[in-house]
Amino acid sequence: MRTARVSVVGLAAGALILTGCSSGGGGDAGDVSKDDAAKQQVRYDFGDAAASKGPAEPVKGAKKGGDLTVYQRDSYAHLDPAQMYVSDEGTMSTLIHRRLTSYKRDSAGKYTVVGDLATDSGQASKDQRTWKYTLKDGIKWEDGSPITSKDIRHTFERQFAPFISEGPVFIQQWMAGKSGTGYRKLLPDGPYKGDHLPDKVLETPDDKTVIFHFKDPQPDLPYALGMAGYAAVQEKGDTKEKYDKKPVSSGPYKIASFKSGKSMKLVRNEEWDAKTDPVRHAYPDAHNIQFGVSYEASTKRLVSDSAENQTAVSYTNQVDASSMQSVRSDPKVKDRSLSGYQPYVGKISLNMDRLKDKKVREAIAHALPAQSLVQAFGGSGGGELAGNYLSPTVAGHTESDPYGKVENPQGDVKKAKRILKEAGKTGQKLTFAFQNSPEWQDYSIAAKDNLTKAGFDVQLKDIVADTYYDQIGKVKNKYDMYHSSWGADWPSAGTVIPPTLDGRQVQDGASNYSHYNNPEMNKEMDRISKIKDPDTAAKEWGKLADKILKEDLPDVPLMYYKQIQLYGSKVGGAVNNAVISSIDPTQLYVKK
Amino acid sequence: MTSPSQAAIAGAETPDPDGVGLTSEPSGGQEPAKDQLVGRSPGQLMWMRFKRDRTGVVSAFVVLTMFAIAALAPVISWLYGKDPWTRYGQIEPGLLNDNGYPVKPNGGIDGEYWFGLEPGLGRDVLTQLVYGMRTSLSLAVIITILSVLLAIVIGVAGGYMGGKTDYFLGRLTDLMMSFPNQLFFVAFVPVVGALVVSPQDEMPTWLRASVLIFVMWLLGWMTLARLLRGQVLTLREREFVEAAKVAGTPPWRIIRKELLPNVVTPILVQSTYMLPNFVTAVAGLSFLGVGMPASTPDWGRMFATGAEVYQSNITYMFFPGVAMVVFIVAFNLLGDSVRDAFDPKSGR
Repeated sequence: MRTARVSVVGLAAGALILTGCSSGGGGDAGDVSKDDAAKQQVRYDFGDAAASKGPAEPVKGAKKGGDLTVYQRDSYAHLDPAQMYVSDEGTMSTLIHRRLTSYKRDSAGKYTVVGDLATDSGQASKDQRTWKYTLKDGIKWEDGSPITSKDIRHTFERQFAPFISEGPVFIQQWMAGKSGTGYRKLLPDGPYKGDHLPDKVLETPDDKTVIFHFKDPQPDLPYALGMAGYAAVQEKGDTKEKYDKKPVSSGPYKIASFKSGKSMKLVRNEEWDAKTDPVRHAYPDAHNIQFGVSYEASTKRLVSDSAENQTAVSYTNQVDASSMQSVRSDPKVKDRSLSGYQPYVGKISLNMDRLKDKKVREAIAHALPAQSLVQAFGGSGGGELAGNYLSPTVAGHTESDPYGKVENPQGDVKKAKRILKEAGKTGQKLTFAFQNSPEWQDYSIAAKDNLTKAGFDVQLKDIVADTYYDQIGKVKNKYDMYHSSWGADWPSAGTVIPPTLDGRQVQDGASNYSHYNNPEMNKEMDRISKIKDPDTAAKEWGKLADKILKEDLPDVPLMYYKQIQLYGSKVGGAVNNAVISSIDPTQLYVKK
Repeated sequence: MTSPSQAAIAGAETPDPDGVGLTSEPSGGQEPAKDQLVGRSPGQLMWMRFKRDRTGVVSAFVVLTMFAIAALAPVISWLYGKDPWTRYGQIEPGLLNDNGYPVKPNGGIDGEYWFGLEPGLGRDVLTQLVYGMRTSLSLAVIITILSVLLAIVIGVAGGYMGGKTDYFLGRLTDLMMSFPNQLFFVAFVPVVGALVVSPQDEMPTWLRASVLIFVMWLLGWMTLARLLRGQVLTLREREFVEAAKVAGTPPWRIIRKELLPNVVTPILVQSTYMLPNFVTAVAGLSFLGVGMPASTPDWGRMFATGAEVYQSNITYMFFPGVAMVVFIVAFNLLGDSVRDAFDPKSGR
């Protein structure tokens, strides 16, 4: 027995020794840089009737036919549009659910909000309190019946039903003119007990016309209507809770089978008419989606590019941080990769209830090493240094960098030390809570190192990933600083600044994690959200974000999240869509 | 190695009535003192046999070197001019590339960083390894000593007293054996953390180490205790113990003077097996991310990092891996040799 044991160990040792060489990483700086940012940092124009006409601009070289294999990490928890708020569900939903508006990406990478079911992106009254939409001709459900304004009315009315709890609530709140959950009182049971929204809120004078009436100007309505959560639901086919498992499709594909956690098969919806759709294509005959494929596994499969993986892709799986090097250093694989921004900005939120001295917050801001976080997420493929609160994917983004986070990627410990000394707080205890994941674990080591050198007594607190946001979301939490990230719902800073920095929103579970509350700034937010011209509003949001950062420093911006995605060698038409922050599934085709 | 001829001679000897084992034996080498009978203590005999076992001597040397390296980690770090905490790769530009991997081949090995750099954080691998060994080995040594002591108490008590005491101690041993120690540890640490540490404070490293030692100790003594109980059970019925009882020797003295010297062999042999086991178990816990806190250099966590980066940088796994394999193999071989030296009759 003994000899056997020794030889086995010896073998393992030998294997280790044999493989113990590797080539250098090389100094390749990588590929995604600000050029992409410029491309993505666009104003999303509102398209007119001409721009909203189908069919969509053809993909070069695309052919119909073939089956696509799709690897996804998470199964879709919801198929009912009204329950969709998670980004990977939103990506898939572009294939099966149509909305009043959609985002069109042209071959130059320019985005326009166009009419999807509607003939244009919306006709607003002068005060932008009333928005009128006209439905197109020839739009049908998968059972062949036409999509009418009655279905649209039903779509919005059922958003008020108690069982709809996961989706976005913007339009409901605008309709009711109330923040928080107060909107539910407008139609407590949804449309199911015979009640309907009054005409002064939602008007459907004929089969083709939908008119929204709001209490306040809502210049962002066309953006909001393009969200997956506001996709159309068929009144006749509405099965309430059960709709979540078997929705009626209006898009180019319909669900042939769905086994939660295992697989999903999408097949062509014959009733969908390409001529009515300015955004979508339906090149492959079917999408065969497999769930439960981890980022690491999908990366390995797509890198190998063996038989069935050649026609495979993943809508939203990214290259995992540890495979980043191998993907980016192999030119053959790199050719089959797409990189782009995610909408999220990674920040360290400083608990304003506990860190009341601005000098202390400044010292923290200067000490934190942003580069270490980018490195933890796999280098420039996983993130980019951030100077301020607005991501490059949001209109109004600038290159401002008031605390030198981009200029000094390793942090300025000396300056931090000096500031802390001036404040007389050297040796202050600082509790840093972080999610117990490899990336943040790595970052916590680097952050602690710098903060300790700057003169803080750093206490690291790791929190289980599942409950992390619940823990830091408590207003009375006991931590001084914690990381948080937030992404825009549509490319307007109006979905970034108020949710994360409006002091009136501070409550348990709210996304204002720093508990920042400055009445002056709150007022400013109210003012800007009523500005009608999107360009002016974007600029004002940018100014306000920088002002808050400079004057009050509630969060330290560190990183704009990025991602790299792969596709098989026989998959064509793969483009990164900045709106859904992933591969655009409607443009894919299978090469012959 | 024990030559068969010698084993045969040894086997022919009759144990002395005092039961301490063989008091006389033909001296070590077969050549010099063939006919002379020299009185030697069992310890001397063991030492002579051990010295003749080349594998044993080599592995003992390896093991001692490893312990020396671990104990001298700060000295090595001082001579070498690096420490395991500084993020060299992040602070000095040009060492890590954009993806966080060393720019130079073979994990960034060069004249400056002898074993290369850690991908991501860019810490020095050599100092990480020696400090990590220090952490792991000191934990393992403490756990082994505590476990052996507890095993002696419980095993000897159960075996000598017999009856109900033995029954209950035996069931306790069974019960403890049924706990999966890694799961137990994963579940135990947060509880202790919540009980002892204020929610604003980090769990201090010493507390984490104490919890780790406590759990491993609690769940690590059973095998040896069972073994000792069996040994003591047979020894108890032997003539020399009965003689001592008849002579009115108090139980404590019997245990100390009559029983314990006879179970030294299993204790020593078993502990040379236990120690490497604890080293791997502690490393396993760190691998799972529930060992020592992330800022403490740790052998096991190096494997976890190695497993993450092996696709692009296999070299990182090399040094901790080879060190671990060499250590475990050497320690196991040493254990075998020690056993052979103590008890040349035990077969092979």
